[in-house]
Amino acid sequence: MALSSSSSAASSTACRTQTYLPLHLRSHSLLPFKLNRVTPFCPSNSRCPPIVCAVTKMAATAVEKELETAARPDSFGRFGKFGGKYVPETLMYALTELEAAFNALASDHEFQKELDGILRDYVGRETPLYFAERLTEHYKNPDGKGPHIYLKREDLNHTGAHKINNAVAQALLAKRLGKKRIIAETGAGQHGVATATVCARFGLQCVIYMGAQDMQRQELNVFRMRLLGAEVRPVHSGTATLKDATSEAIRDWVTNALEKWGGKPDVLVACVGGGSNAMGLFHEFVDDKEVRLIGIEAAGFGLDSGKHAATLTKGEVGVLHGAMSYLLQDEDGQIVEPHSISAGLDYPGVGPEHSFLKDIGRAEYYSITDEEALEAFKRLSRLEGIIPALETSHALAYLEKLCPTLPDGTKLVLNCSGRGDKDVQTAINHLKL
Amino acid sequence: MSSFSNLHTISFHKASFCEKKLLPGLTFNWSSRLIENKSSSLVCSVVSQDTYHVGLKIHHPTTRSNVVTLIDQTEEALCSTGKFGRFGGIFVPETLVNCLNMLVDEFNAVLHDPEFQAELAIALRDYVGRETPLYFAQRLTDHYKNSKGEGPEIYLKREDLNHGGAHKINNAIAQAMLAKRMGRKNVVAATGAGQHGVATAAACAKLGLNCTIVMGNVDMERQSSNVLLMKHLGAKVKSVEGTFKDATSEAIRDWVEDLDKSYYLAGTAVGPHPCPNMVREFQSVIGKETRKQAMEKWGSKPDVLVACVGGGSNALGIFHEFVRDEDVRLIGVEAAGIGIDSGKHSATLAKGDVGVYHGAMSYLLQDDEGQIIGPHSIGVGLEYPGVSPELSFLKDIGRAEFYTVTDEEALDAYALLSRLEGIFPALEAAHALAYLGKLCQTLPNGTKVVVNCSGRGDKDAETVFMYQQQQMVRRLVTLNGIGK
Repeated sequence: MALSSSSSAASSTACRTQTYLPLHLRSHSLLPFKLNRVTPFCPSNSRCPPIVCAVTKMAATAVEKELETAARPDSFGRFGKFGGKYVPETLMYALTELEAAFNALASDHEFQKELDGILRDYVGRETPLYFAERLTEHYKNPDGKGPHIYLKREDLNHTGAHKINNAVAQALLAKRLGKKRIIAETGAGQHGVATATVCARFGLQCVIYMGAQDMQRQELNVFRMRLLGAEVRPVHSGTATLKDATSEAIRDWVTNALEKWGGKPDVLVACVGGGSNAMGLFHEFVDDKEVRLIGIEAAGFGLDSGKHAATLTKGEVGVLHGAMSYLLQDEDGQIVEPHSISAGLDYPGVGPEHSFLKDIGRAEYYSITDEEALEAFKRLSRLEGIIPALETSHALAYLEKLCPTLPDGTKLVLNCSGRGDKDVQTAINHLKL
Repeated sequence: MSSFSNLHTISFHKASFCEKKLLPGLTFNWSSRLIENKSSSLVCSVVSQDTYHVGLKIHHPTTRSNVVTLIDQTEEALCSTGKFGRFGGIFVPETLVNCLNMLVDEFNAVLHDPEFQAELAIALRDYVGRETPLYFAQRLTDHYKNSKGEGPEIYLKREDLNHGGAHKINNAIAQAMLAKRMGRKNVVAATGAGQHGVATAAACAKLGLNCTIVMGNVDMERQSSNVLLMKHLGAKVKSVEGTFKDATSEAIRDWVEDLDKSYYLAGTAVGPHPCPNMVREFQSVIGKETRKQAMEKWGSKPDVLVACVGGGSNALGIFHEFVRDEDVRLIGVEAAGIGIDSGKHSATLAKGDVGVYHGAMSYLLQDDEGQIIGPHSIGVGLEYPGVSPELSFLKDIGRAEFYTVTDEEALDAYALLSRLEGIFPALEAAHALAYLGKLCQTLPNGTKVVVNCSGRGDKDAETVFMYQQQQMVRRLVTLNGIGK
């Protein structure tokens, strides 16, 4: 519905007929997110044609075959050969209980209603799909051609990142299971704060484990967690371990996309640390092979420097934190200490589903250095007045390489996974403002 | 009009202007506007040209009291005099008069311009992130229940979820769009807590305008995180000796030096006409949404609205929609600082006298010689010796009530909301929340209270941290003292 002059969507696309099944018949998420009814976008000067449902085609390529054969994950919790449950026997019961509860939610209307209400009134969803006019202009070539860049504004969520979507749903699940105590680990503190936030909201006891060194460096985040009523326990062993829980699908933005330009996006771009925000963005479109999925990891000081966190580019398959996936390991199978300027991408592993998508060639993964990310941080701040998280900045930085290769008018959606207030000090030191 | 059916979040329905000579030799065209049914999602307006008379047909409950009649009359008079009763006005040097007249014209024009309104609606929706939710604070509600389990229902209007973290952006984006439309290249603004600075810097970046933010050096230290944000957004941050009131004076001085290319972006509902009116109009989206959301949630209006008062922008933003609904109580909460009798506070409406400051007549903290008294509050955004002329008017006619809350009470409210709801309120908003402590016990069971959570409190985490450290030390000292 953008009426600004640079959006050519209104004139060129008119009314697109839907070439896929309506949402309620074709859902990939197990969670029954309730969304507003979708109506096709029709500019006021043309008549609205009816919706056309096309029959899905038979699998023509290997990728489609892979994606169609099994449920993802399968009953063993695998995505192809990745994933699984590599845990001691003591944890199996808890995981089975969790799995059963999670599956039961699919048909639980009460849960759906409660979660919807919380996402709307507490978290502040739906988040907008924002047409970044000046960023789009910036990437136009001398002929004035280039992709249309949209930002999915997860930075506007309560607590400032996409993390809360997951935290809220899991806290609600925990309450359903009658649990009174929530445990989480945190690196820089963002996930800890998100967890402590929902525990306060739901009146659950909260214990956050944090590396002792991190507790010193992130004193303010520790304070925030305590103010929220959480107990923060120092961990003296190991390094800053960042644990991302199962990702949540961010489905409402499909509605946004249909409203805005009457079709699907062409390219999706997201940063990849553990993989939650990327999976959240990709999940709905994994089976739509016309939609390109691009994940961006942290190249730190450079891929050859040995100081990076580009797991999918430089890692090998192994088991970490209970799942088989790509991970950064040395020849002895020891975990390599990763590095990235952004704490959220500083993880030696990656979600098993990403490993699977990379292996079958469904998604593409590239990497961006600290320097490039900082430039992108500055660029979005200056061009759109949005300060992105340094993690998000990695995805934004990739636009430099990507945009010149895209045809004019390509619809690109980038997941603006968090706001950068937390990173201003780091950035100032590097950018010397 | 059908293409605007989603854009009900902005319906500038309360603009009434009339054609009249304001100053000898100066005439400008104003048109009157008939507004119907402001609670529906479509704003239908009929524009008519009327000379010297304004016909305002407003859809309201049948009995109209003296107060509402007074409000109507004042609104009519506002266009020609720039005053709210005896408050407001245009107390400025001659050099500024032309500029202000142009601003009035432009403001009036955009109110009638569907393209501007559509563009603003999109910016509010996709850039700012509106509508903001009306959130039922269950745990806070339970906390204030009495021993019989009775008490009001507390809702928070989540202006903390806006882009930038406060309500300030509603006004900043609209005025920045106005400035661009007027062909101005440079925007100058003053900020106290920094939220208006951040909002203005963001809006200017988005619209490609140059931005200078003037901030008191004392404030720059207290709200340093916001200073960093402004710099990252590409704004030039200019420091002056003092706090917000000094920054405001400096920003106006800056503006006067380059009236053709500069635009002074007022952050709160103070200053010469049309600034208070403009800010109130652009912030009124808060109240409009609240009305709609209250109807959706409980099928009626709120009973009580509570908001903190510094300059008055967030309070007017939520009050304005309900000003004629006399069954809706309007409560403003000012900063009592160290204590209302300590001399270190910012309780302008409670303790001030009427005077002229920054271009308008209003209540003002002044000594016997008419000198401005330096205010104090832990909520930096509330630290202003003046207040909106419109709020002064509402106080005088008894339409709105004003109370105060101390620094300590606000700091405790910050901690309470964090613990009970997982929301960090800005220390300014914490003043409104703190007042619930006194208010709730006086309200009948089930009263619907809406508190404007005007901003998030990330910027205040350090202040609260230090306060809690001091509290701990004090407790230890006391314990040791008892031990002896």
